[in-house]
Amino acid sequence: MAEIALQNVSKSFGAVEVIKDISLKVEQGEFVVFLGPSGSGKSTLLRMIAGLESIDRGKLLIGGRECQDLAPGQRDVAMVFQNYALYPHMTVRENMAFGLRNVGMNEKDIAERVADAGRILEMDALLDRRPSQLSGGQRQRVAIGRAIVKEPAAFLFDEPLSNLDAALRVRTRVELAQLHQRIAATMIYVTHDQTEAMTLADRIVILNDCRIEQIGTPMEVYTYPASRFVAGFVGSPGMNFLKAEVTTSGKEAVATLGDGSRVEMTVTIPDSGAYELGIRPEAVHVTAEEGDTTGEATVVEHLGDRTLVYARLGDGTEVIALDGGRSQVAPGDTVALRFDTSQLHLFDSAGHAYHAD
Amino acid sequence: MTSANARRFNIGGAIITIITVIAAVLWAFPIYWGIVSSFKLEDEVVRPYIELWPETPTLRHYWFALTQTQIGSWYLNSVATALGVTVLTVSTSLLVGYAISQLRFPGRRPLWWLILASFMVPTQVLIINHFVLIANMGLLNTWAGIILPQLIHPVVIIVYKQFFDQVPREFREAAVMDNASEFRILTKVYIPMNWGVTTALSIVTFIWAWNAFLWPFLAVTRTEMMTITVGITQVSDAFGVYYARQLASAVLAGFPVALAYLLFQRRVTQAITLSAGIKG
Ligand SMILES: Nc1ncnc2c1ncn2[C@@H]1O[C@H](COP(=O)(O)OP(=O)(O)OP(=O)(O)O)[C@@H](O)[C@H]1O
Ligand SMILES: [Mg+2]
Repeated sequence: MAEIALQNVSKSFGAVEVIKDISLKVEQGEFVVFLGPSGSGKSTLLRMIAGLESIDRGKLLIGGRECQDLAPGQRDVAMVFQNYALYPHMTVRENMAFGLRNVGMNEKDIAERVADAGRILEMDALLDRRPSQLSGGQRQRVAIGRAIVKEPAAFLFDEPLSNLDAALRVRTRVELAQLHQRIAATMIYVTHDQTEAMTLADRIVILNDCRIEQIGTPMEVYTYPASRFVAGFVGSPGMNFLKAEVTTSGKEAVATLGDGSRVEMTVTIPDSGAYELGIRPEAVHVTAEEGDTTGEATVVEHLGDRTLVYARLGDGTEVIALDGGRSQVAPGDTVALRFDTSQLHLFDSAGHAYHAD
Repeated sequence: MTSANARRFNIGGAIITIITVIAAVLWAFPIYWGIVSSFKLEDEVVRPYIELWPETPTLRHYWFALTQTQIGSWYLNSVATALGVTVLTVSTSLLVGYAISQLRFPGRRPLWWLILASFMVPTQVLIINHFVLIANMGLLNTWAGIILPQLIHPVVIIVYKQFFDQVPREFREAAVMDNASEFRILTKVYIPMNWGVTTALSIVTFIWAWNAFLWPFLAVTRTEMMTITVGITQVSDAFGVYYARQLASAVLAGFPVALAYLLFQRRVTQAITLSAGIKG
């Protein structure tokens, strides 16, 4: 177990600098998720920690030890690959023992560790099978087992669930969370699936275009997105974005939307001007009374416990609103929408976020 | 499918079957003829018409080959040199193929081009040089002299490189994370994952080496050092050609290879399919 620190690390592939000056600290026992769209540099960053990609500049500290120039095997981290990379010619037992044999551990200790891992992952019965005789979920577990037996300072996962079907993914996700609680190891987990990130992470590192957009707990990232990108990337259905002209006086501000309606809020912004107003669907209520604005319902999605109403405002902007499970709204209806002004966000042209109180 | 369609399909199948059978007969007939003739008396062999079965079957040519020639030594020489060629070719090619496929070192590309280029040079054009070289080294009439020039099989390197290239990168990375040394990555991961290729290449190399004639013919002058392919040319003597006797020794010479192939046939096919599976 150990904490991991990246200090001003950079990385280029040929002439292209993909990772620019990133610093990050992962505490001991913490579960950190790297979340971002495809090509955002998640894997590259993880592989730099693993040692599979070189670190051109900056420092990597694992448990306080400088590791940026060490070979992958000497960094005391274990990695679980997306397609598992289980050696097809070895049994599950041999797969798990391979790494231990490489460092010359004696067979008795190896047998003990493999048995322990088998027990932790509930796969004692599978130890003498070959990978080809296992289901996808079981292979996944063996891949994790291969990491566990090494008792590493940290676990690195690169999209470990993406080859599983939806149901199994949910189950394995829960198992991973339980595993983390049980062995309390430092874990870094790469995914582009925000549900995985929200459910598993102690902290999420949101990457975009090989830069860190925000680091925070799942709720921080969800409630106070640091940028327009984070706001749009996290949450499903996504946040609504509306063009707004904002005038400010001290702590109060008034936003005029495209359809002419006015929304008042408490927020501190540097200047009046054009902003984007962001609000999550659950903060947009369909109301029987007078609302902040009105729109025409185009699509109504009944999800049982709640209903999503897709409304088109006067100026054509689409807004998703959340209504109760027994919503009476039908497509074509004109609905009044009320914004929960404490959950508003303003984004300036550079994407920087200001949150309303 | 309508019955007309079915009939057309059957006719197509029948035609293909017939062509295949004819081709097989054409291909197999010389072998059959050779084997049958080796059981005939010398004067029966030279009769001008085709006799598909010996009139008076005899084992005397086999008896002659086994007792009156040094076929025992020839077998031994062939086994020793063919095994030597196989083991050395396959093990060195394996290392070279692995290095070129997996390691990054200066001069890797030029080396690869060199190997590809040497693939284009038939070894026969070098045979004079080989002879002079081996003669100068004093290795004529030795196993080493027979083996050394036969180790030039760039195609084995090329095949190994292609197979190693196709092992997904994650296996190597997983092994590196697992603290495996380069040698263990090769011996515990890459070779076992490609057993099929190694088996197939070994068998093919062995058959090449066993069947080699030109070089062993040049490199050996002493009868007891000859390989079997060279040795069987010695059964004709000053009194002329004995077809049946030669055929009998040829059958003896080819027998081990045929047997090996029959035994390993399934293994070879299976091996190649297996390796293809890993690639997919
Ligand atoms: N070996 C490489 N050579 C050159 N460029 C690379 C290499 N590996 C990655 N890149 C580039 O680095 C950037 C980040 O890639 P990376 O694989 O880290 O993305 P990712 O966030 O893991 O994406 P995904 O979700 O698709 O796996 C991409 O622009 C990619 O094109
Ligand atoms: Mg990736």
